[in-house]
Amino acid sequence: MNWKHVMIVFKKELKDIVRDRKTLFTSIILPIFLMPLLFLLIGGGTEKMSEEMTTDITVALTADSYSEAAQWFLKESLETQDEDITIIEPVADPWEAINSKQAKLVVSLDRDFKKKLEALEAFTLKVYYDGSLSRSGGAVGSLMSAIDKLNEGIAVKRLEAMGINPQILTPVLVETENISRTGDGNILLMMVLPMLIAMLVAVGGIPAATDLVAGEKERMTFEPLLATRPSRMSILMGKYLTINLFSFASVIATLTGMLLAFFINPDALSMGMGEIGGFNLDTGTVILCIAVTILLGMTFSGIQLAISTYARSFKEGQTYLSLLMFVVIIPAYATMMVMPNDIQLYMYLIPVLNTISAFKLVLGGLTNYTGLILAMVTSLVYVVLSLLTAAAMFRNEKYLFRS
Amino acid sequence: MLELNGLTKRFGNVTAVDNLTFTVQKGEIFGLLGENGAGKTTTLRMLATMLKPTSGTARLAGFDVVRSPEEVRRRVGFLFGGESGLYDRLTVYENIQYFGELNDMHPREIKKRIEELADIFDMKDFLNKRAGKLSKGMRQKASFARAIIHNPDVLLLDEPTSGLDVGAMREVQAFLKVQKEKGKTILFSSHTMSEVEKLCDRIAVIHKGSLVDMGSTDELLKKHGTQTLEDLFMGLVGGSK
Repeated sequence: MNWKHVMIVFKKELKDIVRDRKTLFTSIILPIFLMPLLFLLIGGGTEKMSEEMTTDITVALTADSYSEAAQWFLKESLETQDEDITIIEPVADPWEAINSKQAKLVVSLDRDFKKKLEALEAFTLKVYYDGSLSRSGGAVGSLMSAIDKLNEGIAVKRLEAMGINPQILTPVLVETENISRTGDGNILLMMVLPMLIAMLVAVGGIPAATDLVAGEKERMTFEPLLATRPSRMSILMGKYLTINLFSFASVIATLTGMLLAFFINPDALSMGMGEIGGFNLDTGTVILCIAVTILLGMTFSGIQLAISTYARSFKEGQTYLSLLMFVVIIPAYATMMVMPNDIQLYMYLIPVLNTISAFKLVLGGLTNYTGLILAMVTSLVYVVLSLLTAAAMFRNEKYLFRS
Repeated sequence: MLELNGLTKRFGNVTAVDNLTFTVQKGEIFGLLGENGAGKTTTLRMLATMLKPTSGTARLAGFDVVRSPEEVRRRVGFLFGGESGLYDRLTVYENIQYFGELNDMHPREIKKRIEELADIFDMKDFLNKRAGKLSKGMRQKASFARAIIHNPDVLLLDEPTSGLDVGAMREVQAFLKVQKEKGKTILFSSHTMSEVEKLCDRIAVIHKGSLVDMGSTDELLKKHGTQTLEDLFMGLVGGSK
């Protein structure tokens, strides 16, 4: 292999692809604009949904259980507990009222509730909600807290009337403190970002790979190229470097897009789940994480090059390479919910999962050198294997001149 | 300059080229005549080191195509089809320059040679146009210029005039005559009889991978008692069908 020839091929491929608006658009430009849009839309949607669940909670009594006393009781006892709760006029049909957006929740009271209340007995308050509607199902929590407070208030009053200290009901006082070193907003980032990066590194080079061999075969530029002085390995390496560059460029474009989303709306990346921060910036972990990611990109560039060499035409290359996307997407989605503490050792040994695990560690503020070093060593083996496969395909005239 | 000795290529059970033996001298235009699928392209691909022979040898300027493929490629200009093989997103200049660089030419030498070729092929007006925007004739000129940027000793041309109009075809023929005068060895595959008759010093008729007969047009016509090359070809190929 002659590195001078490698660089000549690399520079030419780069120039050629940069002039290809289609490849440039899908690999670089689209992620820069798509990411902010995606995060802002999803973030905005989540925020709106959460607002719908916690504010303006309209509660209606059923017509069957309506009485002036019941209506007054609800107004006095619940509206005072939560200023977002409003008791509205009674309704005949709970389902109809909720689905026509007249009320978010409907309640019924025992007809003799007042008598029972005065007699220090328990009465039933039934809550109707529609679990299929987030505005209704999500509002139940707020109403239940208000009812809990109401229960507590009534109990305290009854105990005081009996001359008993109300603290008798709460022998254990509970205090909680969140001691997580990462921001609450990291949880969503830990689920989405590693998956996104691993997927992009693995598939970002596909447009370039399709064009560089299968495309050349179709355009009949491949044979004249093979008839020039450089060895096949020099040509292969030049193309391999180009595919690598494109897979990393697509990751950088996506991260730029995400940063853009963050600058436009800092809550966009956490989707309103809290602050983002407390990443693991331990140099060793970060370096190993980046190394594993680069090696994943190199592995998949080799695989893509081999597939593109096998394909007879651009279209055939596209079909085969799109199947490769599933190979990446399935494990990526399967481990989306795995948190840094739950990462199993085997995950460091499997391509795609190793990168996802490494990024989860960084985002979760943890370190696992054994896992990361294992990931790096195995990734190196995968790079060598994928390159050897691509080289074998490139040397094999049966695949090179398949028609 | 070019020696083939028992050159054979098999793809599984199919023998594409069978025991081909001939030599082509310096300054000679040698035509490979055969129907589609006769083994012409496979022979040229083996000589350009793209395919490895199953058996037999081929030497180009003294270098074996299997043992010294880089040395062989250095001395070969390969053209596949009349106007194919250009990178559409690169300009004509960049297309030719790329092949100059791949053939280890110095940038100054490349520049000088492109200017020279632009004169020869009358390409100055479209040298900086993207190849994808050129007409068929322009593309054909650019393809030729690119194939000979490194001034190769041997030209391997696989049906270089296929799909070209009469004017463009004549330009190619004129160009090949000039190359012959410059002492280049040209191996030329075609199934256009008139073109072969006009250009080639000697021809080899191949059918189903095997050499059927070889010699100058006159020698072959006399030997087989036919008036035209077409009759000769049909006699040789039809007879062996």
